Amino acid sequence: MILDVDEQAAEFGRQALRAFEAAGGDALVQQAEAKPDTRAELVDSVLRELGAWDLNARDDTDELEAAATLCRSAGYWALPYPVAEILSRPGDLDVSGLSVVADVNPAAPVAGIEGPWATVTIAGIRSAVIGHGPAAPGFVAPLELSAVDDRGAADVALALVLPCWTLLGMLDRAMELTVAHVTMRKQFGVPLSSFQGVQFQLTDAEVERSGLDILAKHALWSVGAGRPDAANDALALRMSAIEAADVVFRVCHQLHGAVGFCDETTLSWLSRYSQPLRRLPLGLSATKAELTRRMS
Amino acid sequence: MTMDFEMGADADGLRRQLRDLVKEHVPDDFLGAFTDDPTDLAVVQRFCRVLADHELLCLAWPEEFGGRGGSVWEQTVVREEMWAHHEPRGAQYMGVNWVGPIIMRHGTQQQRQQHLPPIARGEVIWCQGFSEPEAGSDLASLRTTARPDGDGWRITGQKIWTSYATMAQWCFLLARTSRQEKKQQGLTVFLVPMDDPAIQVRPIRTMLGPHHLNEVFIDELRVTHADVLGTVDHGWSIVQDVMSFERVGIARYARCERLLAAAPTALGDRWQSLPDELRSRWVRMITHCRRARLMAYRVVALQATGQVQPRDAAAYRIAVTRLDQDSAEVLTDLAAEVTDDSTYTRWFKAEVADHWRYSQASTVSSGSIEMQRILLSRALLAAG
Repeated sequence: MILDVDEQAAEFGRQALRAFEAAGGDALVQQAEAKPDTRAELVDSVLRELGAWDLNARDDTDELEAAATLCRSAGYWALPYPVAEILSRPGDLDVSGLSVVADVNPAAPVAGIEGPWATVTIAGIRSAVIGHGPAAPGFVAPLELSAVDDRGAADVALALVLPCWTLLGMLDRAMELTVAHVTMRKQFGVPLSSFQGVQFQLTDAEVERSGLDILAKHALWSVGAGRPDAANDALALRMSAIEAADVVFRVCHQLHGAVGFCDETTLSWLSRYSQPLRRLPLGLSATKAELTRRMS
Repeated sequence: MTMDFEMGADADGLRRQLRDLVKEHVPDDFLGAFTDDPTDLAVVQRFCRVLADHELLCLAWPEEFGGRGGSVWEQTVVREEMWAHHEPRGAQYMGVNWVGPIIMRHGTQQQRQQHLPPIARGEVIWCQGFSEPEAGSDLASLRTTARPDGDGWRITGQKIWTSYATMAQWCFLLARTSRQEKKQQGLTVFLVPMDDPAIQVRPIRTMLGPHHLNEVFIDELRVTHADVLGTVDHGWSIVQDVMSFERVGIARYARCERLLAAAPTALGDRWQSLPDELRSRWVRMITHCRRARLMAYRVVALQATGQVQPRDAAAYRIAVTRLDQDSAEVLTDLAAEVTDDSTYTRWFKAEVADHWRYSQASTVSSGSIEMQRILLSRALLAAG
């Protein structure tokens, strides 16, 4: 058994992490929010230099693992760009990216990004995006769709799994920030980290993050190996990712205290930009219901 | 090399072999060795010998000590299949899993010759004399004392929560041999026979099974230097080794998975008419089983390369013990929905009831969840 991504893929992820930092790091999402029209140019060159758009995640397992680590690094910096969606594009449609959408109120974080875009429902109905509504927070745009075909069942798993890797990167960062905060911040004359109540909250969050890490690797392997259960594995991952994010962000906000809500604090940005990943295409209840329907 | 989550054909073959042996030698309604029914103990005694005959009991042991040097994944399969089927090795799993390997590592040639062959043949039961009334998680505070006495020692004290003490022939006993600056110093491990009249065992009837937990009273037990394991006053390092053998611990997720998988069959046509929320909880638990299993595999893989960190093991232990209890609640609700009366449904209900009782101790036994949280938070904060 090999339970971790190949060292080359891991190194690619580390390179991406450094490249995003050099390109602006935490400032990228703040600049993109201030001027949404500029978000593509903020990150496009660094992604091109990394060779992100040359990755063939659908047909090559080495590149699939590299794509996943890239998404994780993008999540770490809350990169304001739909990297996972672009890497999920299907080989048989001439599109820039693919988003999994719900049957109702289809939406994706692609506002202001040049397409063409495609969507696929959990059932495998593929559509072309022919128009956007006004952008909502998190660069999410309601989508106007035109049906293409119903041959997208095989596209779903990867397009569900890669955004979970992005969310995992956000949880990595939220935990790092929180450990640093409770180590530095003093109350009653001692660091917050010296209180067992604080320590135990941290461990609860870490168990969720750590569990998500290995589930994400398993689901990625399942997709790459073309297992018949890959879509169910992806849905199970998504359910766990949402639950983990709920716990991790709740704990991280609580332990940051009021400063965690301030715009000067990175957690505030991570937390709010994790929302599209946690709500789209389906929230926790709908994801669980779909998985239950399939497994029952 | 890209990822691969398949264990491989050898492991699959071993799993089939173990299931066949369980089917042939363990009754369907077996719920462990610690019941009031003496035939249950006989089942495990017999099954251990069957495993030994098939060279499976000590599969993980090095060949020089009678094992076959099985891979970490083969060991994992054994751990999973045994726990999924109510540990038909009974108390002997302790001898195989850690008493034997610890004696290999720290024992004298004489101790190896005396103790390893009976363990390898499945003929001996060991108990662990660690916890005391005033020393649970804070084990180093134990009060059982060994005083020098001629060419040996005299041991007096009390142990508690000692699993299998009524049936054990030997005890892996930790006692204080001197007072030093740190309480972890001055402790020594003794290998002592349980049939000595200086040792009295009193069973503690519990919801885990009537013959599981015990108090052990030791009154002026005379032992020799030959009964000391390792070096006098340096027993704490052996305790640390014992803990590292128990890092992956019991494959609790395997029994949870087996029972969750059995639920739809037990419910039959009722399954589709269950409340959506109950089936949704069932799905969630299946996913949590997978998560715990994968976290265990990660610890196993890291252990095999000497890279395991306390945080990985502690995170797994927290996840799997919570899974044990959470799944027990869901399974109990599912069992309450069973309406058919058949051999299968009676088996399912009895299994679930036992699982619920046993799971209540999972966050307490073998290192409480609080200790795991302390370990994990220390590691997190040190890394930060």
